Amino acid sequence: MTAVTTKRPRQALSGRRVREWLIFLAFVLPNVALIAVFIYRPLFQNIYYSTLNWTLGSKFATPVGLGNYRDFFTSGEAGKVLTTTGIFTVATVGLTLALGLGVALALNRRLPGAGFAQATVFAPYILSGYGVGLAWLYIFDPNIGALSAILRDIGLNSPEWINSPPWTLTMVIIVYVWKNLGYAAVVYLAGLQAVPGDLLEAADLDGAGPVRRFFTVTLPLLSPTTFFLMVTTILNSLQAFDLLIAMDKLGRGARTLIFDAYLTGFKEQSQAGYSAMLSTVLFAILVVLTLVQLIVVERRVHYR
Amino acid sequence: MNTSSNLHRSGLILDRRRFLGLSALGISAAALSACGGGPSTSGGGGGASAVEQIDFTGVKPAKEITFWTSNPGDSIKVSTEIVNAFNASQPDITVKLVTAGADYEEIAQKFQTAQTGGDLPDIINLSDVWWFRYKMNDQIIPLDSLFEALEFDTDDYVDSLLGDYLYDDAHWAVPWARSTPLFYYNKDHWKKAGLPEQGPESWEEFGEWKTKLAQASGAKFAFQFPALAGYAGWTLQNNLWGWGGGWSKEESFDITCNSAESVEALSFLKDWVYKDKVAGVAGVDQIQDFAAGVASATVGSTGDLITAITSAKFDVGVAPLPAGPVETEKICPTGGSGVGIPKDISPERQLAAGTFIKFLTEPEQAIKFSEATGYVPIRKSADPAAILKKTPQAQVAIDQLPNTRSQDYARVFLPGGDLEMANHMASILTENKDVQTEMDSLKTALEKIYTDQVKPHV
Repeated sequence: MTAVTTKRPRQALSGRRVREWLIFLAFVLPNVALIAVFIYRPLFQNIYYSTLNWTLGSKFATPVGLGNYRDFFTSGEAGKVLTTTGIFTVATVGLTLALGLGVALALNRRLPGAGFAQATVFAPYILSGYGVGLAWLYIFDPNIGALSAILRDIGLNSPEWINSPPWTLTMVIIVYVWKNLGYAAVVYLAGLQAVPGDLLEAADLDGAGPVRRFFTVTLPLLSPTTFFLMVTTILNSLQAFDLLIAMDKLGRGARTLIFDAYLTGFKEQSQAGYSAMLSTVLFAILVVLTLVQLIVVERRVHYR
Repeated sequence: MNTSSNLHRSGLILDRRRFLGLSALGISAAALSACGGGPSTSGGGGGASAVEQIDFTGVKPAKEITFWTSNPGDSIKVSTEIVNAFNASQPDITVKLVTAGADYEEIAQKFQTAQTGGDLPDIINLSDVWWFRYKMNDQIIPLDSLFEALEFDTDDYVDSLLGDYLYDDAHWAVPWARSTPLFYYNKDHWKKAGLPEQGPESWEEFGEWKTKLAQASGAKFAFQFPALAGYAGWTLQNNLWGWGGGWSKEESFDITCNSAESVEALSFLKDWVYKDKVAGVAGVDQIQDFAAGVASATVGSTGDLITAITSAKFDVGVAPLPAGPVETEKICPTGGSGVGIPKDISPERQLAAGTFIKFLTEPEQAIKFSEATGYVPIRKSADPAAILKKTPQAQVAIDQLPNTRSQDYARVFLPGGDLEMANHMASILTENKDVQTEMDSLKTALEKIYTDQVKPHV
C-alpha cells in the first residue's frame, strides 16, 4: 500500500465527514443550547448561590464559601431532614411499587370494565398535588374530617394527623402513594402483558401453582419494569413537594430535603443561599443514587 | 450514508440506561433551577440608610396598573366591585385585580420571586409580618411624599393602624384589611353550662368556666386554640401581655419569650390541654371547627366574623379578648394587612398606584370592605351603621380598637419569627414539650434572626 492510494480516499472522507458533522450540529445545537440555558445554567447558578448568604428578594449577598454546607451538616438539621427524606422515599417507593403491582395483577384479568378501572386507578396521578393535598386534608382533619367521623363510628379516636409530626408524615405518605399508585399500576400492567404466555404454560405443565408461577416466572421477568419504576419513583419521591406544602403547613412532620429547601428559601427566613445549598445536596444525592442504580442494579435485572 | 452507524461509532447511542441517567440529571437540574437575575456581592446591603422620599413633581400617572391581593377574608367579590368602581370613576387609570396567592405567605413568596424575575405589581397587599422585610430589602417605597402629592387625609386613618407602618419616620404602607383577634363563643353551649351571656373578663375566669363547659356542652373541646401557622404568634400576644410577658419587650428587640411571666402565661394554657384535657388545637381552620360545634370557644380574626356567623347553625357570641392577672385591662394586638407600592417600578406607575390606594381606603370603600369581610373600618369618619345593622357583633371589634397595642417586634420585624413561634408553640401544645425549654430555644432562634438579618439594617 502506498502513501498516494491511502491519501486520496481520506481527503474525500474528511469532506463528507465535515458535511455530516455540520448536519449533525444543525440538528443538535438548538437542543443543546436550550438544555444549556434552561437546565445547566440554572444548575451552576444554583451551586454558586449555595455559597452565598442571600435573602431572597434582596439585591445584595455576602459570599460565605462552604459556610451554608457546614451549618447544615453540623447543626443536627442534616440528620433530621435526611432521616425524614429517607423514611418518606423508602415508604412511598416501596408501597407504590408493591400496591401498584397488586393493582396491575387485578387489572390484568380480562374482565368487563377493565378499561374503566384502569382509567380510574390512573386518574389521581394526573391531578394537581396541591389540590389533592387540600382535599385530603379535610378528609384527615381530626375534628371535622370524614375519616375521623368513620373512626368515631367504630369507636376509635382519630390520630392527630395534622398536629403530631409522626402522624403528619404517615398521612402524607398515604396520600402520596394513593396519588402515584396508578402510574406504577399502568407501567406494571404493560410489563405483565409482555410476559410470554408459553413460559407460564410450561411452568404450569411442570406442576407450578399460581403463587409459584408468579414468584419464579412473572416477577423475575418483570424485573426490568421494576427497575424502571424504582428509578422514576425514587426521583419523583425525592422531589415531591406540592402535596407536602398543602398538608404540612409548618413543615414539622414531612420536612424532606426538597421541602426544607422550599421552606427555608421561600417561607420562614427567605434564606435563598441556604436553600440553594439544600438543593445542591439533593442534586448530589440524586446523581449518586442514579449512578448506583445504573451500575449495580441494572446488571442484575435483565434476563438475556 | 449511515448516520446511525456514525453515531454508534462516536458512542452517541442513547440506550435506556443512558436515557435514565440523563433524565435523572435533567430532572435534578430542573429542580434546582432558580429564577433569573441574582444578587450582587459587591457593596450595598449593609447599614441603614436615610429614607429617600420620591419627588412626584411633574410625574403623570401610568394608564394601566396591577393590584396584587391574596383576597383576605374572602374579599375577591368586594375588591372586584371597588376596582370596577374606581375604573368607572375616572378615565385616566385602569386597575387590574390579580389574585396573587391564597394567603399572606403565598403572595409574599410571589412578590419575593418577582423581585428577581421582574413583572412586579404596582400595588401589593402586604401582611403585618412581611412589610418590614420588604422595607429592609429596599423593595417598597415610603409613601409620605405620595400622601402629600395626592392630598391623602392621613389624620382620618385610625391612628394605631396607620402608626403600625411607621418606621424611620416614614410610612411604608396604608392600612386596608386590618383586624384584631376576637373571642368567639357558642351561645348555646354557654346556656347549657349556665354561664352569663357574655365573654369572660379574664383568662382566669374562663379557666373556671371551661370545666363547666366541658361537662355541659357535649363538645369535643371547651376551648380550641387556633391553627398554629398564622395564628399562634399573633393571638398569643394577648395572653403573654396579660401575664406581663411578651415575645419581646414593648417596642424593642429585647426577646422576652422565655421570661418567668411569659412561661407562666403559656404554662397556664398548656395545662388546659394536658392537665385538664378540655382544650385542643385546630388542624386546618378553627372557625370551621367552631362553626361545626367542635369547640365551645376559640380565638379568631375579625376577618372571620362573617364566615363564623354565616356558617354556624347556632347563635355566635363575640367578645373582646380577655385580660390577664397582670395587665388587667383587656388589650389585644392589631393585625391583618395593608397595601404598599413596590420600589422598582416607574414613578408614573407609583403615582397611579397611590391614586388607587387613596380611593381604596376612602371611608366609603373602607365601610363597604368591612361590611363584606368583617375587617375593622380603618377610617375614623367611616360610619359603621351599615355594618352594625347587618352584623351587630361587629360592634365588639370596633369597641376593641382603642384597646389595641402594636405587635411585638419579635413577631412583626424578625423575618420568619412568626413561624418560629408557631413551631415552638406546636411543640408545647401538641407534643407536651416543656414550656421553659421550648421558650429558651425560641429565644435563641429569634436572637439569631435578629443578629443575622435585622441588626445590619437598623
